[in-house]
Amino acid sequence: MKTMEEVLQDWEAVIGLEVHCELTKLETKMFCGCKLEFGAEPNTHTCPVCLGMPGALPVPNRAAIQSIVLAGLATNCDIEKHTMFYRKGYMYPDMAKNFQTTQGPKAFCMRGWLDLAVDGRGAKERLFWDDLAEGETSENMTRTADGYTAHVGITRIHMEEDAGKMVHIGGGEGRIAGATHSLVDYNRAGTPLIELVTEPDLRTPEEARLFMQKLRQIFLTLGISDCSMEEGSLRADGNISLRRRGSTEFGTKTELKNINSFKNLHDGLAYEICRQAEVLEEGGVIYQETRHWDPSAKRTIVMRVKETADDYRMFPDPDLAPYDLSDEFIENVRAKLPELPDQKAARFAADFGLSAYDARHLVEHRFTTEFFEAACEEAGDSARDLAKPLANLVLNDITAYVNANEGVDFAATPFTPARGVQLVKLLAADEISSKQAKEVFAAVLEDDKDPQAIVEERGMKQVSDTGAIEAVVDEVLAANPDKVEQYKGGKTGLIGFFVGQCMKAMKGQGNPKLINQLLEQKLN
Amino acid sequence: MAGTNFATMGIREIQAGLMNEEFTAVEVAEASLARIAEQDKDVHAFLETTEEQAIEAAEKIDMVIDSGLDITVIGPLAGIPVAYKDNMNLQGTHTTCASRMLESYVSPYTATCVRNTIEAGAIPLGKLNMDEFAFGSSTETSAFGPTRNPWDLERVPGGSSGGSAAAVAAGLATVTLGSDTGGSIRQPGSFTGTVAVKPTYGVVSRYGIVAFGSSLDQVGPFARSVEDAALTLNAISGHDPLDCTSQPVDTDFTANLAEGAKGMRIGIVPAFMDAEGLTHEVKVKVEEAAEHLRAAGAELVEVDLPNAQAAMSAYYVLGPCEAFSNLSRFDSVRYGYCDPGHKDLGGQYEASRANGFGPEARRRIMLGSYLLSAGVYDKYYYPAQQVRTLITADYTRAYEKCDVILMPASPRTAFKFGEISDPTSMYLSDMFTISLNIAGNGGMSMPCGLGADTNLPVGVQLQSPQFKDENMFRAAAALEQVYGKAPVAPAFAAKAGE
Repeated sequence: MKTMEEVLQDWEAVIGLEVHCELTKLETKMFCGCKLEFGAEPNTHTCPVCLGMPGALPVPNRAAIQSIVLAGLATNCDIEKHTMFYRKGYMYPDMAKNFQTTQGPKAFCMRGWLDLAVDGRGAKERLFWDDLAEGETSENMTRTADGYTAHVGITRIHMEEDAGKMVHIGGGEGRIAGATHSLVDYNRAGTPLIELVTEPDLRTPEEARLFMQKLRQIFLTLGISDCSMEEGSLRADGNISLRRRGSTEFGTKTELKNINSFKNLHDGLAYEICRQAEVLEEGGVIYQETRHWDPSAKRTIVMRVKETADDYRMFPDPDLAPYDLSDEFIENVRAKLPELPDQKAARFAADFGLSAYDARHLVEHRFTTEFFEAACEEAGDSARDLAKPLANLVLNDITAYVNANEGVDFAATPFTPARGVQLVKLLAADEISSKQAKEVFAAVLEDDKDPQAIVEERGMKQVSDTGAIEAVVDEVLAANPDKVEQYKGGKTGLIGFFVGQCMKAMKGQGNPKLINQLLEQKLN
Repeated sequence: MAGTNFATMGIREIQAGLMNEEFTAVEVAEASLARIAEQDKDVHAFLETTEEQAIEAAEKIDMVIDSGLDITVIGPLAGIPVAYKDNMNLQGTHTTCASRMLESYVSPYTATCVRNTIEAGAIPLGKLNMDEFAFGSSTETSAFGPTRNPWDLERVPGGSSGGSAAAVAAGLATVTLGSDTGGSIRQPGSFTGTVAVKPTYGVVSRYGIVAFGSSLDQVGPFARSVEDAALTLNAISGHDPLDCTSQPVDTDFTANLAEGAKGMRIGIVPAFMDAEGLTHEVKVKVEEAAEHLRAAGAELVEVDLPNAQAAMSAYYVLGPCEAFSNLSRFDSVRYGYCDPGHKDLGGQYEASRANGFGPEARRRIMLGSYLLSAGVYDKYYYPAQQVRTLITADYTRAYEKCDVILMPASPRTAFKFGEISDPTSMYLSDMFTISLNIAGNGGMSMPCGLGADTNLPVGVQLQSPQFKDENMFRAAAALEQVYGKAPVAPAFAAKAGE
């Protein structure tokens, strides 16, 4: 199989996402008063309505409608004032009424968009962006200083209810194949769910990953869901097809399901690109089918072939009157909009003089945003001066730590924003080197002590005494006359060797800036 | 209590007797249950009686009376024997919808309208027979055998609320509740000579009523007097937070019963009075009723409902579509009939639904499934909704000229068992009632004497504008002045006197 990079030379990937998000922050279900709670004893949060008992009727949860309007406003959607709930019929035991209450052609939120800033390694997945001049636009892509921005259309966000959870017993790994019977837990049945559908505007797995990450960050900021991909409160299905570069027709798409992490979304789509290209290049045909990404086997497998379109017999739910949103309702919701990640990034750049790159990466995750904001507050008047080293601390050390320790809640570690400020102050005052700073960072997490205390305890103070450094520099130069000759003969790269020798002699505590300065003075 | 005949008494009479300590509520309950045990063998109005709940409710009433309080503080139905169509959930009772599908189903909760009657002091006697899932106009589609018309046991009581109508006509309950999707209260009301009310859609909560056509279904009372029907509607009407289609109605439906018809404008639709299929004896009695109102000081005005002829077609699109969806929950998995021995879900679904539903239910489900399917939906469902808009507009226009519209409730008097076997002929017995469900307005059947040819009750239908149900009650009370209160069917009145 060709690599994705090779495939994308000849083919363009067309990707659209369907994102389901459970509104876990609400108190009650979508159409009844049952409590929302993940992990409760099965079938303890149920009533005649969510069990589909004969005669029970739905009543819409107004708070859920506030949440979806928030989501729509935060993703630049038009809010539709007159919409209807529809019944979508399918017979399966996880949906007690055998129809799902959802929305019809008109959803609460229509025609939105998000802009994705793509940079670094991720940008390399998309071709030709670096052929553009900064600010120049081609299709949905605009060149930026360090990558490009992709404009991604959102078709709609509609309100619906989640199904119950089925557990199949007797088959392998809880799967239905070979199962002898199935159990249904209706606690989840009727959980308010919003479904966001994008336009087929995404072109690379990285863009799909970034879209999900950005959307998750927005929903978390709005406080409408815990957005846990592991627990399934945020789920993504990816629709993907290939077409020859230059073609404007869509190819046959496959739908990728069972995506429970950003990485799986990326890797699953990347695999599908390669698989589809191989099939097409060998003269084969892509079938419209649902596929499942198996992260351990690193491949997708067929779940279900869609021979004909499903007929859900959709029609307006006669138990639910058409839903009218007043201007007042919409404006009240708009007034509740918190500062969104993009706005926050713009503020970070303006208030603290950060680069656009730093600012947007700081708002990518909750732990980065929250730590940075708290630290700036802690720093008070010196926030603007310390912002860049704080950003570096957050984007490098803290991010690396969180990535290496899956599931860690950084806010619960001993490395508090106050200690972060202390650490960057030590660094800014040249009291420790950046290498030492890394050691202190690790030590704070390990020992739960202030950076200042660790520096003193370990005698790590950086030597910035010019006299002491000069003595060492002289020693090193005297001990390596041959290297000095070579340097003077033009091999200036040897400066690194001399710095290293000095640092070694000073047990890593010498101020590298001063060492450099003195070496250059003496050698030139 | 000796010689007391609860079977023919109305709400006020029973309550006066209770207050005067002529009898106790427990005696009312026991006598009612005894009468059902004896007389219902012939009628088969009841599918289940609720002895324990009846006695328990009656004991509460007696305690209030013993403590010296006026029982009307409990509510308008204090001490009154009431029974419910079997599509209404009453916790702990079977709610079968007269279907094998739900033969073993026991309600885990109580419908709002049923709860409202009990909270208003009613003595719940039991659950009443009906056409299976309310699909029918004769109660012949009940899986548990038909109900007989107390006026002539060889004839149907109408349907689908045939049990509710027959129970009142035979004096087995003072009032009953039924539901009306296309005429299922008014047509049996007409066949049994009872006061039968379908209020405006939204007046009574549908929560806990097993849905047939959610946009069409409405609950209403059967009684032997206009006042009893109005008192019952007072008890069950109003907004229910559990039904978002219910409305905040606080009308006192008894308020204008004494006003008489003087000054009312009664609309007559000439095309309806000459409709094909309307029998001569019904036409004569309905015209007489109109004349009586004129004599009482009302003005008769001609109105037109030009799109009403499309109501039947729209109804047989919308009704089956909603029924198909509403009945999809009966899948054998969590409750209801489960065909044994199947190893796969699809097989179990198919066999359970094929064997659990009767032929009329299966017919409507298949019809709805077809009508909602891709490519068909646009051709039928959408035009049917447009018809709905047109008919609603017709009524709005007509009510600019009148306060009440008067027409037959049914084209004929009660027919014999098996007399109508063709489904489409059966559907035509609802020709005068359906347009009202399509528009959502209120209507009632009011007894107006016996037909000259069959000597069976004829009902005149009085309709009123949306949420102006008090208009038709006023006209009905004026007619009651002429015809007197609805009698218990003669054969059962005689038995009641024993």
